[in-house]
Amino acid sequence: MERNQMHRQVSVMRQSLFDQGYLDEQFIQLEELQDDANPNFVEEVVTLYYRDSSRLILSIDQALERNPLDFNKLDTYMHQFKGSSTSIGAKKVKAECTQFREYCKVGNGEGCMRTFQQAKKEYTILKRKLEAYFQQARQSGPSETACRPRN
Amino acid sequence: MAPAIEGMVPAIESSEGNNKMNKGYQYPSWKKKLRGLVVDNEELCRIVEKGIMGLCGVETQAVETGEAAVELIASGATFDIIVIDRFLPSMTGPETARKMREMGVESKIIGLFALYFEGDEEEFVAAGVDDFKEKPLSPNWLVPMLRELDN
Repeated sequence: MERNQMHRQVSVMRQSLFDQGYLDEQFIQLEELQDDANPNFVEEVVTLYYRDSSRLILSIDQALERNPLDFNKLDTYMHQFKGSSTSIGAKKVKAECTQFREYCKVGNGEGCMRTFQQAKKEYTILKRKLEAYFQQARQSGPSETACRPRN
Repeated sequence: MAPAIEGMVPAIESSEGNNKMNKGYQYPSWKKKLRGLVVDNEELCRIVEKGIMGLCGVETQAVETGEAAVELIASGATFDIIVIDRFLPSMTGPETARKMREMGVESKIIGLFALYFEGDEEEFVAAGVDDFKEKPLSPNWLVPMLRELDN
């Protein structure tokens, strides 16, 4: 049946996000929080992440244009960015944030800029993949795995 | 249907007698009614951390600032477990923890961080927290902690 096929496709898409290292187990925690009362929790949280992070990314970009760089400020922004990325399980973005911190620690501005470019790249790739995943999930309709049943 | 944004209550509304089985997780049930407080400036982090605490059977509130947390406690609210983010806008994480201890709060207080900075752990511990953990807030370390509190 076509519906089963679509569900399988969604499942494959989801699994590849983990297999390719885009998401970690925290994303599963979000799925645990999705249930009949909050059937779109995961998508809503991810939407919130992209909404709030876009402002933060702008702030970091602006901070990286300053001369000299304010590493304390950059650290604070990056802590926020990593915190949010951690909350949704954005594994590759998190890794770049950690790397950024290492460069900040030693005052390596070049390293910070390079790493941040990479972080933004990963952030955008993940956004596209998640958008495609959620769209596919919506089209395929509810499945037993989509929501945690109320006991 | 209420959207899953600030103020959302996870499906578990009562912390008593909960024993949810899903996707391999077995969420615990507690003898006592456990109450939690999340102090985090990021909306996304508050939603997710509050949700995870709820999944673990803790009736949880979330506030944005140290000041709001202190005010809540001053108004008579009591909690079994309090998690405080390292970076808060005015009153810092450690300052918030210190103030709580000065007010006589004996709850378990956990300092949370997304990025590790030297001196943070010492500062938090000196302020009187019981533990200092890297985000994300996870049932893996939360549940054993709650089990202790329940006994």
